[in-house]
Amino acid sequence: MLKKRLIPKFLLRDGRLVKYTRFFENERAAGNPVTTAKVYNDYGVDELIVLDIVPSAASRSRVVEIIERMSEEIFMPFTVGGGVKTLDDVNMLLRAGADKVSVNSEAVRRPEFLREAARTFGDQCMTVSIDYKRISPNHASVFIDGGREHVALDPIEWAQRCEDLHCGEVLLGSIDRDGTMSGYDLDLIHKAANVLSVPLIVSGGCGSLQHAIDALEAGASAVAISSMFLFTDHSPIKLRSHLFSRGLDVRASFSSRN
Amino acid sequence: MSGVAIVDYGINNVRSVRNAVEYCGFDPIVTHEADAIADASHVILPGVGAFGDAMINIRARGIDELLERHVREKGKPFLAVCLGMQLLANSSEEHTDDGVLHRGLGWFDADVVRLMPNDPALKIPHMGWNMVAKERSHPILSNIRENNLAFYFVHSFAMRCHQSGDVVGYAQYGQQVTAIIAKDNVVATQFHPEKSQDSGIELMSNFLRWHP
Repeated sequence: MLKKRLIPKFLLRDGRLVKYTRFFENERAAGNPVTTAKVYNDYGVDELIVLDIVPSAASRSRVVEIIERMSEEIFMPFTVGGGVKTLDDVNMLLRAGADKVSVNSEAVRRPEFLREAARTFGDQCMTVSIDYKRISPNHASVFIDGGREHVALDPIEWAQRCEDLHCGEVLLGSIDRDGTMSGYDLDLIHKAANVLSVPLIVSGGCGSLQHAIDALEAGASAVAISSMFLFTDHSPIKLRSHLFSRGLDVRASFSSRN
Repeated sequence: MSGVAIVDYGINNVRSVRNAVEYCGFDPIVTHEADAIADASHVILPGVGAFGDAMINIRARGIDELLERHVREKGKPFLAVCLGMQLLANSSEEHTDDGVLHRGLGWFDADVVRLMPNDPALKIPHMGWNMVAKERSHPILSNIRENNLAFYFVHSFAMRCHQSGDVVGYAQYGQQVTAIIAKDNVVATQFHPEKSQDSGIELMSNFLRWHP
């Protein structure tokens, strides 16, 4: 059976690795993406997600260059996204070395684009990224354009619609929990995992080893993590060993390979 | 003998295979030229895309005859990956109009059939990290511990071998999935070693140092 995955998530701004809290607050520089990726590679993570959060023509060429450099020395699947609007965008990122391309705002504005991209490049190449906020205790809503624009869509219903449009997997991110390290939104993860048949990657809130266990036990196929790996001493290798020893179905850790 | 020939049959992305060969300390050349394949120490047939189109390109470029001569007759070490492995079968039912099967290179007594896991919750394509259980040992797996035989798969069709001795390992995905096959100087993987981290690089490195 397929293994549960640990995925560092990189946010890029002008080609630099950055991290915020709740998408806008407390910007922190987090280093060089290529060297950081190499460190994570040595730790044996399963995959990498790289998102350009302030996309422009200039930042796209930086992202392409970064992915090309990563793929020279890092041999695992990459998901790349940020400002993807056309089939040419998807093609450019795949050629640079991405295995999957993530689409967010453009899928909301033009759902047909997702279907078209899946038809052209294969369902397995298309990841849909969905950011949401709680707008009342029992109600969550989708936000696009890096959390700036509110759209009247329920995140789970939208994820199901994306599945119908042939996306290969869903990256579901809580804006409220982003960078807070206060734990994943387990309630919503549980509901989403129950209705989706494509793999669900969850993002936003991981701050402890237990948080990752909780999300995987709630039904996520993969946990995306940035703050905890960047700013605490919980490394991917420590998390993997912990999950493995707790009986979760992850790949054996790098350290046990010798 | 110089370099490692990565066979170019018009599929658009062999970057990661080329990078992995370089990373292992060898000199890759992406080519469909007879001289380059004749000179190469090892030959790799990568694979992304559809079976029918791939075979049309291979025949149009005369690659089938080149491989027949240099790999099968002269015994050059050969690794086929993903669709590349499937092309070694007799036939494939991938995207057949009118029910006529695509004909493959026929190096293995095998057919390529759609994955049909016995659990409806299992999605097609079979995509992600899965374990391979060994049926027998093979030089490309040397030094890789059994609990590290996790590799990255992305595919909707799989090979069904009629000679069980050809199979080196299977994965499980609601059915048995042929993961590694081998015969003489030829070895092939359904998964992507060039995307399978340490275990995949170890496997490629073993292949590049293999002199059957």
